[in-house]
Amino acid sequence: MSGRHTGEQHSHTVEGTDPQLHVAVHEPERDAGLRPILLLHGFSSSSKLNWEDTGWLQALLSAGRKVITVDLPGHGRSGAPEDLDSYTPSRIRADLLQIAFDAGVRPVQDGDPASGLDLIGYSLGSRLAWEFGATQPEIVHRIVLGGPNTADPLAAFDIVAAQRYLADGTPIADESTAQLLKMALVLPSNNIFALLSLVQAIKAEPYDPAEAVPHVPILLVAGENDERAATMPDLAAIGSKSGALVEQLVIPGRNHTSALTSRVFKQAAIEFLSV
Amino acid sequence: MLEWLVAPGDQVERNQPLVEVETSKSVVELPSPQAGKVVRIHGGPGDKTNVGEPLIVFEVPDNTAGIVGTVPKEVAPKRRVRLSAVLDED
Repeated sequence: MSGRHTGEQHSHTVEGTDPQLHVAVHEPERDAGLRPILLLHGFSSSSKLNWEDTGWLQALLSAGRKVITVDLPGHGRSGAPEDLDSYTPSRIRADLLQIAFDAGVRPVQDGDPASGLDLIGYSLGSRLAWEFGATQPEIVHRIVLGGPNTADPLAAFDIVAAQRYLADGTPIADESTAQLLKMALVLPSNNIFALLSLVQAIKAEPYDPAEAVPHVPILLVAGENDERAATMPDLAAIGSKSGALVEQLVIPGRNHTSALTSRVFKQAAIEFLSV
Repeated sequence: MLEWLVAPGDQVERNQPLVEVETSKSVVELPSPQAGKVVRIHGGPGDKTNVGEPLIVFEVPDNTAGIVGTVPKEVAPKRRVRLSAVLDED
């Protein structure tokens, strides 16, 4: 892995509680002089799985970009708080804002390419990036959303069925729920109860992309066979309707998982964020 | 096997991405363990390769020996960061 890595534990409180989120700031060997990029991973993933193992971190560092990674609550190396509030999307966005400022992100200023922050999100991370871009227009410069959609698949997750399955193995009738839980259980680093807390918190704050729309340029990317991103054109329409410049890219032959490593995806993101 | 990023005859640097592969759990891009010239690659998009099978053959710079890269084993994380460990730190 190229570039120097500076690990950093996000340890002070936000609104009176410690979010226990694991943050890392990665500096490129040759800095292109552009604003940092914040990477937001998907449900049941982590910065390592979503961005490091897939080659994203190295590709961005090689392009001279400073990169900030954060593990979502209950994921990767972050803590798994017991209170439900720590998992609400609004709470996570507040934590992300604090993380950005701690990493030295400054408000976007015309003519200063190092000011502001670019975002790349995947799946659930795309939802968070969309909302963060809409609610923090002062610091967000451009956004790349992978595997995006207009409704969070987690909102339809059957928590009771999942809990029953975990307790005594009762089969789960809903296919999407069964698939998401299987995905969550396959990774030993996941805290399954924290992940269920996140699902519950998401149900309390469902995704409505039309409610708050970012006004910065947005690149939407999905694999051709990504069923979870089937509504990407609708999301593009929501963005365009409010005046955002929206580009869409479909990667042939890839699905919600395999789109992640795609060179086409990485190159498109690097190019889109290089202005 | 999703896609090769290098072809036989290519000169590659250490850590340069070689290939995109999909495992039963996730997708990964494998970086080159060393610098050298690619002599041979095994398998193409859609092919299945088992752990331990040859993946790529390099010709190393000093030209003394070829090295066969094999599919790496998945290693379980050694340690999990628990909630209590984080809380105890301050």
